[in-house]
Amino acid sequence: MARIGTIAAVGAATLLAAVAAWEGTRPPAALLRPPGAGEPARFDARCIKCGRCLEACPYQAIHVAPLAAGVAAGTPAVDARAQACRLCPDFPCIAACPTGALAPVEGRAAAAMGTARIDEGLCLSFKGMRCEVCYRACPLIDDAITIDYRPREGDAIHAVFAPVVHEGRCAGCGLCEQRCPVSDPRPAIEVVPTGFA
Amino acid sequence: MELTRRKFVKTTAVALASAAAAGTMATMAGCAGEPAKGGAQAPAGQGDVTRTVGVCRFCGCGCGVIVEARDGRLVSVTGDPENGSNRGLNCVKGYYLASALYGDDRLTTPLVRDDKATKGAPGGLREATWDEALDLVASKLRETWKADKSRLAFWGSGQQPIVEGYCTAKFWKAGLLSNNIDPNARLCMASAVVGFMNVFQTDEPAGCYADIDEADVFVTWGANMAEAHPMLYSRLTARKLADDRVRHYDLTTLRTRTSASADKVLMFKPGADIAIANAIASYLVENNLYDKAFVADHLQFKQGTENIGNAFEDGYDASETGQSVDAVTSITFEEYAARLAPYTLEYAEEVSGVPAADIQELAEVFADKSRKVLSLWTMGVNQHNRGTWMNHCIYNIHLLTGRYARPGDGAFSLTGQPTACGTAREVGTFSHRLPADLLVAQEPHRRYTEAIWSLPEGYLDAIAKPGFHTVKMFRELSKGNIDFLWSAHNNWAVSLPNLTRFLGRGDKRGVIDAFICVSEVYPTLSTQYADVVLPAAMWVEREGQFGNGERRTAVFEKAVDPPGDARWDLWMLMEVAKRVLAGEQIGGKDAFDVLFGAWYDPEAGAFRGTDREVSRAIWEEYRTFSNPALNEAAAAINESAGLKMEAKQLAPYDLYIDNHGLTWPVREVDGEWLPTLWRFCDGPQADGFDEQGVERYGEHDRAGGVSFYKSAGKRPSVVFRPWEPPAEIPDDEYPFYLCTGRLLEHWHTGSMTRRIAELDRALPEALLDVNPADCERLGVKDGDRVRVTSRYGSCDITVSTTGRTAPPEGIVFAPFFAEETLINLVVQDVYCPLSKEPDYKKTTVSIEKI
Repeated sequence: MARIGTIAAVGAATLLAAVAAWEGTRPPAALLRPPGAGEPARFDARCIKCGRCLEACPYQAIHVAPLAAGVAAGTPAVDARAQACRLCPDFPCIAACPTGALAPVEGRAAAAMGTARIDEGLCLSFKGMRCEVCYRACPLIDDAITIDYRPREGDAIHAVFAPVVHEGRCAGCGLCEQRCPVSDPRPAIEVVPTGFA
Repeated sequence: MELTRRKFVKTTAVALASAAAAGTMATMAGCAGEPAKGGAQAPAGQGDVTRTVGVCRFCGCGCGVIVEARDGRLVSVTGDPENGSNRGLNCVKGYYLASALYGDDRLTTPLVRDDKATKGAPGGLREATWDEALDLVASKLRETWKADKSRLAFWGSGQQPIVEGYCTAKFWKAGLLSNNIDPNARLCMASAVVGFMNVFQTDEPAGCYADIDEADVFVTWGANMAEAHPMLYSRLTARKLADDRVRHYDLTTLRTRTSASADKVLMFKPGADIAIANAIASYLVENNLYDKAFVADHLQFKQGTENIGNAFEDGYDASETGQSVDAVTSITFEEYAARLAPYTLEYAEEVSGVPAADIQELAEVFADKSRKVLSLWTMGVNQHNRGTWMNHCIYNIHLLTGRYARPGDGAFSLTGQPTACGTAREVGTFSHRLPADLLVAQEPHRRYTEAIWSLPEGYLDAIAKPGFHTVKMFRELSKGNIDFLWSAHNNWAVSLPNLTRFLGRGDKRGVIDAFICVSEVYPTLSTQYADVVLPAAMWVEREGQFGNGERRTAVFEKAVDPPGDARWDLWMLMEVAKRVLAGEQIGGKDAFDVLFGAWYDPEAGAFRGTDREVSRAIWEEYRTFSNPALNEAAAAINESAGLKMEAKQLAPYDLYIDNHGLTWPVREVDGEWLPTLWRFCDGPQADGFDEQGVERYGEHDRAGGVSFYKSAGKRPSVVFRPWEPPAEIPDDEYPFYLCTGRLLEHWHTGSMTRRIAELDRALPEALLDVNPADCERLGVKDGDRVRVTSRYGSCDITVSTTGRTAPPEGIVFAPFFAEETLINLVVQDVYCPLSKEPDYKKTTVSIEKI
């Protein structure tokens, strides 16, 4: 099933690439790229929209940027809320990339896809609820995300378990965003892709 | 102490203000600025928002909630700001609780299975009328009952509301004269219960949650509180933040989220906790660091049967060893010290792997009387092949150092389920129990129960022998020795150990052949084995009561009607009882009428009143057990047999609603009912101390200001218990220990929380946490699928090395919420020989990549 889906996706990618060639004049969208993509300009210059990284991803986390992405249509992207990158220890997507658009990285933390950002107004943990789903879901738990235990104002018998994202240690995989129970109006934690901070 | 009193007075003031403000449900609606229409008994249907008081459906914390409903549907569940325990907060499960009622596949119609061959898979059930389903269940039960009473069983729950559990126990024990009734609390609290009974002769924690606010040192033993008791862990953390001298020691076999915030982690080899506890006790005695006055005033010393083996075989209980496990003999303090002597720090290090210096440091903590020490424990201690013994060992340390039943200074056994205490333990849905701590085996206990239940004297002598405990029940079922099983408020086909055997996936097919009735709210794996499924009202779709881990009884009011034809469990019970008992008599009177006539009209097939009135009527009968003055005959037996039944006194029903819950014993002082926070601790009742109990049964001015008036001779027992190894030791074939447990996002088997989209998103799959070094040896990596195999069975699961729990080499961890993983196919059904609680923490397994 996955294989058929991938072939279809690759076919679509080729088509989209063709369409995008004449359609895309819009500014680049803030797309979350697969591991190893690095700065947008570097990646954009190397990606040939071949679709091999899509095929290599065991989680079907990489999809083709849609037509609406303008010039980026047809390039590989990750919709973290739908299916985050799982930071495979051996990075099959990077291994499959023929051009170095996805460049080899040293370890999971170096995937450098982006950095998660918490909306403290939406976050349940900041309200004093015991949630911290993002923290426990993080593949780099106690490193990329830690808990800042804080007193709760006006309440001597509860603490606030505030999740804190550490820039530079967050790989931007988006698993926190995928798992966050909040969705109205949007997840309380979202990944800002590298190059779009 | 001053601090304690001030705090308590403040809490009481809040509770009283809230009672005055809340009063009735209708006033609550008024408080919210909404028109006070409808009410708890009649949910509004014209767009008005009703607000009712409740208590969270999930864990043992017992967080209070406010439930808002509109047009017969819950619109929100929020933390109850007036609840002294959670103050308006919840964990993420409680936050999304309202959605638990609205999964797409709620059961709304009775279902019947015509072909037993379809069991064990979805499908095979057809819709039926209530009459058909109830007639079928009742006829099968009656048929089994008349043929052979040993072949019927009820499996209940620490999630069954109090009055429902009370009526179930009454039907089974008095109506059917059967002790084949046991709750899932056997799987979580039985070792704690037997520990309490052996040490104190009363099943209850002496402390309360407010102890957390007073403690200077926390010691967690086999407890991942950060995930399993989220709001209590918030309270513990608040205490740490308030005073940087507060310390937390975590004793565990694997690093958890609790370890992550502990000040010091003592990671021990599975089963070695008893060696550590004995080494601490030994150090205290050896170095003269124990509390001599407390020992002299309060304690007695014992030792018991040792080398008790393990309950691998079905015949273990009946074996010579099995029959002797409860035996104890008195010893002197010096003899006790001599038994401890071999447990040097070095020996404990050798057995446990914990450095001797760390064990000594913890022993010094217990020795330092300038600081209050609070031990907290859960399943690591209870689900243990020596679970009862380990409960003993914790009490031993606390009793030797005079740290028990004093604010902030105590040993607190945490409960996992919302009403494991309130129902399973307090109303007696165990195979050996009657309500209010009474035992079937004790003649005066049976007489007392007969008096309250209006039964002829001697009527309950037929149930003097305990029935099947849970593992025995399902072992017998698997062998074809149970013909009728009714389960409610649980999901045994996911939560039991050794499911390979119990689900008929091995050579024992009893689960297929038996007639099984499952009362449920959603399709589960258990309903796939049901012959009849009865669709139940869920949580606030009827009124109910929970009793949480700190002796706090709380009511959740009815907020909405159940969907479709789903009905209150209590109605199902009454309708089945009516049919089964038709034509039967007790003492020359109609049996059903004697037992349940006060609140159910069998002719009309309806309760005599609203949910509130029925709950109140049942509660008032139940409350008689702890208020013998309400029943002349019972009062006489209480006096002559010295039962001290008032010791666990409960208050009139409505007070629990008015006060958003009360901790028992609740004492009437000048017309006011006052709760007790610190049991056996002398001090003003109005400040939460056990003044009335001590005054009536105990002694003032004893060491530590406490008096253990429920204990034999007023002296709790320090029982020496040796370290004995786990039931299975890893070997070449099964080189790993598998530990299972609960995680924050899901409640037990996930039948409710996995239907809440937000929680399913938050934790969609069960993963096997494996140490990276073990992964390397096994040639597997994060995300790989593996097969886990034990002597009992196997299952497939995905490996994780990300470290939510970080086991050391040789140990793996998996949660049990996921039906599609079904880790319990692998878990052993070996149990603590004393409590009969299974050991879910130490099954030896092999792991292979698939």
